Amino acid sequence: MNESPASGHSSARTIAGIVLFMVGSLLSSLRLTQTAPDPTHLQADEITEKAEHRFSALKSQLPSRGVVGYDGESGNAGTEDYYLAQYALAPLVVERSKNHRLVIVSVTTEPPKPDTSGLELVKNFGNGVALCSNKDAK
Amino acid sequence: MTLLLAVISCVVAGYFLVALGWPLRYRSVYEWLLGASLSVGFGIGVFSVIFFLALVAGLTHLLVLDLGLVALLAGCLWFWRTRLSSVHARAAAGMRSPLPQWLDRVVMACLGLALAAAFYAAILRSIVHPHGEGWDAFAIWNLHARFLFRGGAHWRDGFSSLIPWSHPDYPLLLPSAVAHFWTVLGHESTAVPAIIGLAFTFCTVGLLCGSLGVLRGRICALLGGLALLSTPLFVEQGASQYADVPLSFFFLAVIALIQLADGRGALFLSGLAAGFAVWTKNEGMLFLCALTAAHVIETIRRRTVQPKIYNTAQLMAFGIPVAVFVALVVWLKHSIAFPNEIFSDPQTMLQKALSPNRYWAIIQWFAKDFLRFGEWWPIPSTLLLPALYFLTAGERSKPASPAFRASVLTLFLTLAGYFAIYVITPYDLYWHLRFSLNRLFLQLWPSTIFLFFLALPHWRPEKVSK
Repeated sequence: MNESPASGHSSARTIAGIVLFMVGSLLSSLRLTQTAPDPTHLQADEITEKAEHRFSALKSQLPSRGVVGYDGESGNAGTEDYYLAQYALAPLVVERSKNHRLVIVSVTTEPPKPDTSGLELVKNFGNGVALCSNKDAK
Repeated sequence: MTLLLAVISCVVAGYFLVALGWPLRYRSVYEWLLGASLSVGFGIGVFSVIFFLALVAGLTHLLVLDLGLVALLAGCLWFWRTRLSSVHARAAAGMRSPLPQWLDRVVMACLGLALAAAFYAAILRSIVHPHGEGWDAFAIWNLHARFLFRGGAHWRDGFSSLIPWSHPDYPLLLPSAVAHFWTVLGHESTAVPAIIGLAFTFCTVGLLCGSLGVLRGRICALLGGLALLSTPLFVEQGASQYADVPLSFFFLAVIALIQLADGRGALFLSGLAAGFAVWTKNEGMLFLCALTAAHVIETIRRRTVQPKIYNTAQLMAFGIPVAVFVALVVWLKHSIAFPNEIFSDPQTMLQKALSPNRYWAIIQWFAKDFLRFGEWWPIPSTLLLPALYFLTAGERSKPASPAFRASVLTLFLTLAGYFAIYVITPYDLYWHLRFSLNRLFLQLWPSTIFLFFLALPHWRPEKVSK
């Protein structure tokens, strides 16, 4: 597989290969800077920060550990909201079920609202967050 | 102050570990890069394990444990230094660039620009997404870190099937390392996972440039670094607080260390890196199986020429750290978490394995993502690299070494493993491919670049640099 010693032609070919590689790579780097957040309008991701704030008042009414229920919207938005609640309330385990003595009810957007039948309001914390009890829970 | 002490302890512990296995002489900038990158990555890895073991054992006073570890490693280093034989480094490349000086400077400038762009994008993304960018950052990795940090003796509560999408069976290198620094700090800080993510990102680049510099010289080191830094997905994922970039760091460390030296010490470090990979993500276990299979295949293939690639002592040096981490992960999976959902229903798995449509769909996605996974624009690096290979004039490499062939085979087998997982996945196939395939490719990308530049023809300085 040995090639003949590099000639002027082959060295030019090598240089062309390296230049092509550099140009292609730098264009991708340029794209990286273009898709980066605007440094003049830096604002921390509001979704996670807001969720931390939304559930902070609720924390004092919940046990420090164990499992509580969660009742929220269905669909993708509801799933994300559930995980944000779990993230904010750890190390408490939040199960997406009403079958618990204490159930967090969370509503973030317009209807359809979660089905709260069988739940009794304990306290409304505002921002779409309420704590309910379920006396029928096993 | 305590945090600074912990950070210094982390890097020093990593440095001592690296020095124990491979006494680098730090004669060139590449050896410095290599040593520093490995020290940071291994330091974070070992701090993760220390935290987890302390948590399981109910030990407090983490900083005392950290300093004790550093003292222990220093003692081991002093003891072994007098006994370890010198390293059989495979390093051979001269440091002088074979290219015309102007081009050498242009390549250097391009790397500088790509580094600045990557740093700029990564820092801005970390500021804008303090809890990580994307679902997995807060729903898996940082959530697990919170359970480890906030849960105290009840940390196991968080690894429960009641939180199904948080993947309770995932290994804990990243969450444990984050929780370690939070514990030392005394409170949670979003800066910790962000800095750990950035450290792994830029240490992967350092490891790639350092190992290529030692093995193939300056120009390959610069071009290799450029190839990785100009992969937008690599930088974005590095800043996103996911575990894929840390995993890619350990994959590269395993492969680079095998290529760099064949002494017991380097193989011990390689085994340690493989262990850390197993402790980072489930794909680490797959990679370890692929690595083992590749070396067995290579050994069998060479049987008539040479009986072994490695002797028993070398195998032990590699196998002992691997065995420790495999035991740790197996213990974690069996005693704490519930089984991985991918392997939970054998009958459905078999049904899916017998469906040819799934294979065809996966092949199509693999082909498409091969060109676009890095989010390059406008020319994918997966096309630029072959173009560079064919345009490069020079002496083609001698027949590949067994270690090189085994490394290439390892990547192919890992890729085949990813393919097989998609075949049997219980999730919607297209959804699974859409949200994970690019990250799986990314895990192997630094190692692929490394092996590519090792295979690149050798330039002939006396002819090219006029």
